[in-house]
Amino acid sequence: METATSLKDHRVLVGNRGEIAIRIMQACRKLGTAFTAIFTPEDQESAHVSFARKYGGDHGLYKVASYHDANELMAVADVAGCTAVHPGYGFFAEDFRFARRVTKRDRKMIFIGPSWKIIRELGDKINTKRLARSLGVPTVPGSDRPIYDEMEAENIAEDVFDFQLQQGVAHPLVLVKASAGGGGMGIEEVDDIDQFRSVYRRIRNYAARQFKDEGVLIEQRITDFNHLEVQVVSDRSGKNPVHFGTRNCSIQSTGRQKRLEVAPGFDPSVIDYSFDSKKVLQDIVQYSLTMAREVGYDNVGTWEWIVTRKGEPFLMEVNTRIQVENGVSASIARIKGRDQVDLLEEQIRTGLGEPLGYSQEDISFDGVALEYRLIAESPENNFTPWVGTIDRLRWKEHPWLSVHTQVPKSAYIIPTEFDPNLALAIVWAPNLEELKKRGLEFLDELVLYGHNNAGDSMQNNIAFLKEKTSSILKF
Amino acid sequence: MDNLFQKRIQSLTDRLTYIQDIFAGKQADSVALLQQKLDEFTDRINHNNIEKPYEEVVALEDLFKEVESRLDISITPLDKVRIVRHPQRISLRDILENVYDNFTEVGGADEYSLDPSFVMARAVINRRRGKKRYTQSVMVIGQEKGHGAEYRNGGSAKPWGNAKARQFMRVAETEGIPIHSYIFTPGSYPIEDYPGAAQQIARNIYCMAGLKVPVITVISEGGSGGAEAIGLADRRLMLSNGYYSVISPEGAAAIEGRCKGGERPPQELVERCAFNLKITAEDNLRFGYIDKIIKEPPLGARPYHFDFFRQLRQEVVRATDEVVISAKLAPFKSMRTARRNKPDVNLDEMYLSWALSGSEKRRLCKMRGDKFLALSKNAAVDNRPFLAKAMHRVDDLVTTPWMQFKYEFYRKHQRKIHSLLEQLDNEWDVFKGWIGKPFGKGGVKSKEDKSSELMSLSTWTDEHKHNKWNYLSPRYKIDQAVTCPNASVYGCPDLWGPDLFAEFAGVCSNCGHHFPMEPEWYVRNVFDKDSVLEFNSEIESGNPLEYPGFDKAVKAAQEKTGCKSGCMTFEARIDGTKLVVAMLMGTFRGGSFGAAEGYKFFVSAQRAAKNRYPFLAYVHGTAGIRIQEGTHGVIQMPRCTIAVRRYIENGGLYMVCYDTNSFAGPVASFLGCSPYQFAIRSSNIGFAGPGVIKSTTGVDVAPKYHRCYKGLARGHIQAIWDRREMRNNLIQALQTIGGRNLYYR
Repeated sequence: METATSLKDHRVLVGNRGEIAIRIMQACRKLGTAFTAIFTPEDQESAHVSFARKYGGDHGLYKVASYHDANELMAVADVAGCTAVHPGYGFFAEDFRFARRVTKRDRKMIFIGPSWKIIRELGDKINTKRLARSLGVPTVPGSDRPIYDEMEAENIAEDVFDFQLQQGVAHPLVLVKASAGGGGMGIEEVDDIDQFRSVYRRIRNYAARQFKDEGVLIEQRITDFNHLEVQVVSDRSGKNPVHFGTRNCSIQSTGRQKRLEVAPGFDPSVIDYSFDSKKVLQDIVQYSLTMAREVGYDNVGTWEWIVTRKGEPFLMEVNTRIQVENGVSASIARIKGRDQVDLLEEQIRTGLGEPLGYSQEDISFDGVALEYRLIAESPENNFTPWVGTIDRLRWKEHPWLSVHTQVPKSAYIIPTEFDPNLALAIVWAPNLEELKKRGLEFLDELVLYGHNNAGDSMQNNIAFLKEKTSSILKF
Repeated sequence: MDNLFQKRIQSLTDRLTYIQDIFAGKQADSVALLQQKLDEFTDRINHNNIEKPYEEVVALEDLFKEVESRLDISITPLDKVRIVRHPQRISLRDILENVYDNFTEVGGADEYSLDPSFVMARAVINRRRGKKRYTQSVMVIGQEKGHGAEYRNGGSAKPWGNAKARQFMRVAETEGIPIHSYIFTPGSYPIEDYPGAAQQIARNIYCMAGLKVPVITVISEGGSGGAEAIGLADRRLMLSNGYYSVISPEGAAAIEGRCKGGERPPQELVERCAFNLKITAEDNLRFGYIDKIIKEPPLGARPYHFDFFRQLRQEVVRATDEVVISAKLAPFKSMRTARRNKPDVNLDEMYLSWALSGSEKRRLCKMRGDKFLALSKNAAVDNRPFLAKAMHRVDDLVTTPWMQFKYEFYRKHQRKIHSLLEQLDNEWDVFKGWIGKPFGKGGVKSKEDKSSELMSLSTWTDEHKHNKWNYLSPRYKIDQAVTCPNASVYGCPDLWGPDLFAEFAGVCSNCGHHFPMEPEWYVRNVFDKDSVLEFNSEIESGNPLEYPGFDKAVKAAQEKTGCKSGCMTFEARIDGTKLVVAMLMGTFRGGSFGAAEGYKFFVSAQRAAKNRYPFLAYVHGTAGIRIQEGTHGVIQMPRCTIAVRRYIENGGLYMVCYDTNSFAGPVASFLGCSPYQFAIRSSNIGFAGPGVIKSTTGVDVAPKYHRCYKGLARGHIQAIWDRREMRNNLIQALQTIGGRNLYYR
């Protein structure tokens, strides 16, 4: 595909901003690969800009009007002579068209992420669900194809209700959603089968109007669950995917945004679960790898699972990109006994064509880790984002702590255009007890204050994180 | 010197101006001669040194007459154009006053009219047989140019003027009186206000195709669509100095000379175009598009040519009589016609009732249609091998009666049998249930374990939706960013060509703007895979007028597109339902419509009628009638409309779908008359393009003036379709709308 054999011959376009841009650039530096960063006028104070200015050299940094404009990114890549594009997360990370464009344009480049066909295949929820079912991977009970017929829909809904009653669910719920929808649009739940018809028709009509497709999906609505993830890494051969353990991301905002992630997914050594948690973790890891092998998954990715209180795992979706919380898995993983694992480094290295170089047996795990997402928001007020200037963000360095942030040492006006993450703090400890202690220690030592135009002081989620630290990994 | 004398001098002055005007600088010596004689005469008369003024003025008038007769021989086509446009030319009001015995203008008169460029009148003609007098009524309609009156708008009728004409044609039909229509128009006024120029003309033509009264047309200035709006007649007469053309010579010259934004083409180019377009009465008689030429006085009829009016009266009465006679199933038809064609016959003395019975009316309609359908057959190049043609004919002979038997007889009775069987079946089921009851058969199904069913893979046939399109535009191979024209309004990001022209089907993913796609895209993506069967592809566009250089242009277009004409006709299936499609392709000479296209269109309508298939006209784009084919093109408007009307009246389903740009003639006739017209998003529909509107009316056109949603607002089209949804919408339409006589009903 690419004649360049050495990582040093490559130049990676960092198609993102903030802390992920910094981490990509850091990984490139470690690999000896050149990089080109971009920034928009709102971001000129961001630390990723100063980092690129400092280490990028010639063609290291370009100003663009928008991170969303693929044409601009391609133009920068051509001018700077990039050979690969790293999309980070968000923006173009799961856009198969962007990936396709990068690899199919006249001056072809490498898209550092799975191949566009895999992104497309796994980006389609119905397709993913059907793939999972064809491999015997458990998915949420319900339909795995759009239903167009009212009688059929009602039969399925009845079955889903009956099934839940058989399972001993006290208040069964059925989810009716437009198959062509997404992002919470066109979803309603039904708690009474007699209401189903009217809800079904409403959703069907909405879908016909909105998406020009009348198909609906009918599923069980699971309310009591933990959100687990399996980190998968594979090289371009797609033949030998490995996993980097599991994560538990159940602590979320009301809008289902993650706030606190822990690796591994459960800790049966300390906490008692009502089910065989060890087996669940093994199962979801094996299921994930089976699917990865089946599709020939060829980069990093995350399999998202929900685990019910009875210990049943159901595949939710596959994120075909590096995730925000990749660092928390990396910090408990050891490759051939070495620590300092960097999944971004692995991603770029394998993405540019190097073989993985190790197998699952070479990966071991040590200790537990958590990640705090520091955000300027008000958790008690429905996680409303806070806008203003950060006057000071300081923390005390520890060997067990790493902090990723784009917030510079100087005063920093939070741009309103992007997601509100300020910093990620990853804390490692040999055991859960110690982890909670260190986590609280970090939060206690943390200095974070600012002001807004009205003169009010900054609002943040530190108190929320402190409160949640005590209950991590508990189900 | 008395007033009357002054008047005669004034009249001569007018005649001299007229000669000067129509020859526009040519024939200078004749003009100088007349000028000199006239000046001399006035000079002498003013100084009162003239002895026999009356003799001299008569001599001078004779001189004028002689010179006019001499000049009449050298008249060129462009001179004729100047004649019909001259303010001294006879107008419809002159005809009403001098040809008819009495008349009442209906629908407003002079300025107090909905559209002063249209005159409608109930007129009477008194005739005798022996001693008995008869009064015959006719409905006279036509454009009124007036004598230079500005409010008449030069006879350029607004859409509502045409609507009014249609209204009174219907009145005439109700009253059972013949229609005399007089065409004095350079073309219709190209504005899209309700009901829309194109749409209204289409309605008019469609209406006239089925009028159950005799229609006689007299053409003086027959400008394209405006002429056709009242020109579909049983007899078409033409004044000898008139013209009948697809476009004004200036318009043709502007296109030929590629003039932009109000620029005037050079005079000799206009002259050449007027000649090349073959617009004169003689040319059109030769082509068969008119039936008779009415000889005008030298240099054209003017209001004082009373002989001419008498002659005109005889001609229109004769034409009406002939039409009435031909519609009757009476003996001695040809004898009666011949008697009326003798010279020196006075038709005023030969009364004939113009009333028609029901069957005669139907015959009249059919004859009118047959007459138009037979026109222009030789204007297209039919390259089908002899054997194919013969096969086609034999096939027609065999299948037509078979189809008739199948649908008219078998299908009708089949339905009865089916319903009877169904009833028996129902009874049998009830009986079975009653018999089976004591044995406890049927009943509740045992409840199985649901979990396996709800969590295992179901079968789904529609799974492979990624390969949505069977055909991709070749532009998808070009690595380029494409800017949406709405980017400045809706902030659309630039689209990457390979995405846009493949996966997105040429639709902007932000605002839904539709970029034009190739005709092949529709052929391959709208209809069932591998179901398209083209027919009559060998019928080629030709050069019937022998227009200089046009052979080469047609060859070039054929090579560029790989098609022989701008209309592709094929049979296809859509979701299993067979239909006939005529596709006008914007890629072939701008989608212009000529005799070959008309022929193919008409044949496909017939084919659809024969097989009881739905008929879809997909207009990928059309720029109008092909001007280089002149009236061979124009005649396709009434011709194809008649074909379509026959198809619809036979119980077919005729749908039209516009895409990209659809303008002028076709929209104003056989496309615009469809009861079900749809448009693909971002398409433009109208009578004349913005450039033409600017150059003919001088008015600037508002942006997006011709956008399809405006057509939707004024009721021209019934829906706007997303290109990607066209297939589904067609399936839906075929299921829900349609005629009583379709094979799948």
